[in-house]
Amino acid sequence: MTRSLRELWFFFWRDLFIARTYRTAFLFEAIQALFGVAMFYYVARFVDSPHLQDALPRGESYFAFSLIGFVFFDYLNAALDTFDRSLEEARDSGTLEHLLVTQTSLPVILAGSAIYPFAATTLRIAVYIAWGAVVFGFPLRDANWLAVAAVLFATLLAFSGLGILSASYLLLFKRGNPGKWFLLGISSVAGGMLFPISVLPDWLQFVARLNPVTYALDAMRAALLGGAHLHAVLRPLLVLLCFSAVLLPLSMAVFAWALRRTKTTGTLMHR
Amino acid sequence: MRIRCASNPLSRNERHAISFVVSDAAITVESLQKSFPPARSGWRAFLQPFEKPSVVALDGMSFEVRPGEALALLGANGAGKSTLLRILATLLLPTQGRAQIAGHDAVLDPRAVRRQLGYHAGSDLGFYSRLTGRENLRFFGRLNHLSNTAAAQRIALLAEQFHLAEALDRQVRTLSSGTVQRLSLARALLHQPRVLLLDEPTRSLDAIAASEFRRFLKSEVLRRGDTSLLFASHTLPEVELLADRIAVIDAGRLLACDTLAALKRTTGAATLEDAFMRLTGRTPHLTVRDAPE
Repeated sequence: MTRSLRELWFFFWRDLFIARTYRTAFLFEAIQALFGVAMFYYVARFVDSPHLQDALPRGESYFAFSLIGFVFFDYLNAALDTFDRSLEEARDSGTLEHLLVTQTSLPVILAGSAIYPFAATTLRIAVYIAWGAVVFGFPLRDANWLAVAAVLFATLLAFSGLGILSASYLLLFKRGNPGKWFLLGISSVAGGMLFPISVLPDWLQFVARLNPVTYALDAMRAALLGGAHLHAVLRPLLVLLCFSAVLLPLSMAVFAWALRRTKTTGTLMHR
Repeated sequence: MRIRCASNPLSRNERHAISFVVSDAAITVESLQKSFPPARSGWRAFLQPFEKPSVVALDGMSFEVRPGEALALLGANGAGKSTLLRILATLLLPTQGRAQIAGHDAVLDPRAVRRQLGYHAGSDLGFYSRLTGRENLRFFGRLNHLSNTAAAQRIALLAEQFHLAEALDRQVRTLSSGTVQRLSLARALLHQPRVLLLDEPTRSLDAIAASEFRRFLKSEVLRRGDTSLLFASHTLPEVELLADRIAVIDAGRLLACDTLAALKRTTGAATLEDAFMRLTGRTPHLTVRDAPE
């Protein structure tokens, strides 16, 4: 019994000592918890509000509003995780070096690694919404599918840039991307996921307007629930495309630079 | 003192001038230097990617490999063998000097270099374990710009040559290390590269599998004479069996580069092991005066 306890302790000791080498991860997890608490604070404030219905755009039900927020937040999560996870898996399985010695260019390798996860996330979102529609009366009658597709595409481009930036950080520093955690944290509070940004204090509303998630969710709710035509969601679409136009080339350049640095420092396969 | 490969009698300036006109060497390495930044832990690890390289891994190495030739890199752990191969494979950037594959510069034109090379890193990692051997080969073949038909034909041909027919349709995770090694070699040769880079190709194989792998490499790859081979090893029988010439390296420097017979002759050694020890100065040579009574 004592020996077993001691052996269990050895395992804890091993993991603790490995985790100790990633100290920043502890710090950022603590900060992430703050964002989680803030999100629930504002959800509670919103749900308790007597003006709840007034705060919802276009008189939507809170179920429809929050379901879209919840499932599209998954999209951001997938975008930020996809490139990181592909990179980590390739590094751990030893396929990264073999991919990099093929004749395929880096942008194609990156984009190729993201196609399936994005497709799977899109399918998962469709299944969520289908369940919502079939079982719980999620209103799909007015949806404008062309506008939905356009918003999805623009969202995917904008979020991909963020994902590639996240992967660049991972490539250089191996773990604990503070940008990714910060963005997920800030988006859970100031992105319009579970409550409209109008219930936030002014400074957080300002932060929300700098966040592509806010525009993606606005446009998606308008297209899916309000049946908005393409021209009606043009503004958030253009904002998302502007984010993409800046983030995609920037992230590719940063990734190429990070890859070059790891080829210089010899840390490409390090964990 | 810089040592050059015995096969290359030209001076550095002459070769430099000629290499701009035409280079018929399969591999050209010229005054190659590589240094790494020192390893850091804790918060200093954040600075490591930006630190100046100060740990020397390659210290001005020069040699050439002729078309169809097999050159072995022989050295102890940390001698710089893998660093050199990874620079040639475009996975590392040199600090100074030049590395070329079939006349293409590894830094300036890495995609052209990759077109000419096959790379095998001597471990049984590097495959998608849930895909079959065929699916893995097809995927990497397509990334090397083979058409679907060409990839299928090459896979069939290599599977026959490498005795992989049974393994092709099994998930890689169910294959033995030796079979995965052969699969990895098949992947490296799929797009018919002119140059094959092998980094300790028998590292994870048992003695029998390693011996089979060497025989196979000799009879199926080198016999045809259309592929140049540069391989790193510290297994002396492997080097003796496969290499036309041997480059002895130590602490990032090329100590000698010649045929086995010439190395033995110039060092006065009876075996390759002895020649290696004498060149690297790893064991004191006993003389009559030093010998214990």
